[in-house]
Amino acid sequence: MAKILIIDDDPDLVEAMKVVLESKNHYVINAKDGEEGLRKAKADRPDLIILDIMMETSDKGFDVARQLKWDEKYKNIPILMLTAIKDRTGLDFKKEAGDETWLPVDDYMEKPLKPEELVSKVESLLKNK
Amino acid sequence: MVDLTLQSGLVERIYWLIRLRWIAIIGLSLTVLFVDKIFAIPIYAFPLYAIAGILSIYNLIFLVYLNSITKIKIANLTTIANRIANIQISFDLVSLTALIHFSGGIENPFIFYFIFHMIIASILLSRRASFLQATFATVLFILMVNLEYHNILPHHCLKGFVPFTLHNNILYISGVYFVFISTLYIAVYMATSISKRLREREKTLAEANLLLEEKDRIKSEYVLRVSHDIKEHLSAIQGCLEPVVEGITGELNPKQRDLIRRADERTEKLLYFVRALLEISRIKLSKHIEMDYFSLKNAVDNALNFIETKAKDKGISLSVNIEAGIDTIRGAEVYIEETIANMLANSVKYTPRNGKIGIEVKDEGDSVLIQISDTGIGIPKNELPKIFDEFYRARNAREVERNGTGLGLSIAKQVIERHKGKIWVESEEGKGSTFSVTLPKS
Repeated sequence: MAKILIIDDDPDLVEAMKVVLESKNHYVINAKDGEEGLRKAKADRPDLIILDIMMETSDKGFDVARQLKWDEKYKNIPILMLTAIKDRTGLDFKKEAGDETWLPVDDYMEKPLKPEELVSKVESLLKNK
Repeated sequence: MVDLTLQSGLVERIYWLIRLRWIAIIGLSLTVLFVDKIFAIPIYAFPLYAIAGILSIYNLIFLVYLNSITKIKIANLTTIANRIANIQISFDLVSLTALIHFSGGIENPFIFYFIFHMIIASILLSRRASFLQATFATVLFILMVNLEYHNILPHHCLKGFVPFTLHNNILYISGVYFVFISTLYIAVYMATSISKRLREREKTLAEANLLLEEKDRIKSEYVLRVSHDIKEHLSAIQGCLEPVVEGITGELNPKQRDLIRRADERTEKLLYFVRALLEISRIKLSKHIEMDYFSLKNAVDNALNFIETKAKDKGISLSVNIEAGIDTIRGAEVYIEETIANMLANSVKYTPRNGKIGIEVKDEGDSVLIQISDTGIGIPKNELPKIFDEFYRARNAREVERNGTGLGLSIAKQVIERHKGKIWVESEEGKGSTFSVTLPKS
C-alpha cells in the first residue's frame, strides 16, 4: 500500500483514478491545482505523485514538477505526469522523459488513461523508488 | 499578397513577350533570307540582319536581367517589371521603324505590324502608358516618313513589290497617316478596355481567394478549440467508464456490462475522430513545422512495425523494397512516419484476407518516391478526385468499414504538401490501389 497524491483539476478524472488505485489498496489524496498540490506534496509526503500538466495554466504541471525535483527533500518522490500535450504541440515526450533539464518527471502517460496502464506504471514507479 | 499575384502575372507576361520576340527574330531572319536568296528580290539585307542581331542582343540582356531580379526577392518588383516592359516596347518600336525604313518606308505594308506592339502594350502596361506608346509609335513613323520625304534619310524602294515610289506622294502619305494613326489609337483603346476588365477580374479573384484562405484559417482555429474541449470531456468520460467496464467497481450483470461496454467503445471511436480533427487543424494552422535530417529507412521500418501484426492476422503478405541508396532526408520525422504508417494501415484495412501489400522506396535524385500498393478493394473511378478531401470516404470504403474519419488521407496530403512533396493515387475498383508520395531530400 502506498500513499498517492493526484494533482489534477478535473474532478471526474481524479475520481476515476481514485477508484482504480484504491482497488489496488493504495491510499489516494488529491489536490485540485498546482499550489495545493505543492503544499500537500510537502506536508503529506506521498510515495508517488500523479501530476496533470495542464491546469490553471497550460504548463503549470511543469512548474510543480520542477519545484519538487529541484528540492533535495522531495526529489526522490516519483512523478507520473499526465498529458494531452501531444495534441497541442506535437511534442513527443518519450525521448525526453527522465531528462532533468527538460521534463523533470519519472514517467508520463497520455490521456485518456487505461486502468491497467495506470496501475502498471504506478506499480513499477513504486518498485523502482 | 494580392499585389504579389499581379506582380508575378506581369513578370510572366514579360517572359512571354521575350519568347514572342525570339519568334519574331527568327521570322524576320527567315523572311529576309527568303526574299533575298530565294526570290532574289533586291533588298538591303545587311541592315535587316543587323537589326535582327540587335533585337537578339537586347532580348538576351532583358532575359538575363529578368532572371536575376526574380531570383532575389525585391520589394519593388512591380515598378521594375513595369519599367522593363515599357523600355522593351519602346525598343521594339524603334527597331520596327528602322526595319521598315530599310525595307521601303511608307510603301511597306508591314507598317501595320505596329498594331501588335499596341496590343502587347495594352496587355502589359497601364492605359496611360499604352497611349503614350501609341504616341511614340506615331512620332517615330511621322519622323521616318518626313525624313524620307525631304530626302534627309535615303528612301529604300521596295522594287520587287511596289513598282513605283510613294514616299514623296503627299496625298498617299496623308491617307496612310490618317489610317495608321487612327488604327493605333483605336487598337489601344479597345485592347486596354478589355485588359482593364480582365485585370479587375483577376484582382477580385485574388482577393476572394485570400478571403477564403482567411476563412479556412478561422474555421481551423475554431475546430481546434472545439475539438480540444470535446477531447477533455471524452477523456474524462472514458476514464470513468473503463474502471466500470473492467469490473474494478464490482461485478455488473451482463446487460449492464454490455451497455457500458458499448458506451465505452463509442467514446473510443469519438476520441479517435476528435484526435484526427485536432491533428489536421494543428497542421493547417502551424506556420512552420520543425524539420531535421532523419533516416527514411528507419521511419519506413517503424511504420511497418506498426501494421505488421494486423497484416499477419489477415494473412496479408508484405513486400518491402527500399533502394540501397536511400538514406536521410530532411523533414518532420514524426509526421512522415505517421503518414506512412497511416497509409499502410489504410491498405491493411481495405485489403481482403490473403491479399498483398507492397512498399517501395526509390531514389529519384533530388527526391524520393514512396509507393504503397495493395490488392485491396480499390477506389471507384468517379471518386478518385475527392479521395483526399476532408471527411470524404469512398462508397466501397464505407461498406467495408463503417467507422472511419475520412481524415486520414487529408492529413497525409497536408503533411506531404508541407514538405513540398506530392501525393497521388492510382486505383482500379476491385483490383487495388497504389498511393505514391514524392518528398524532396532536403
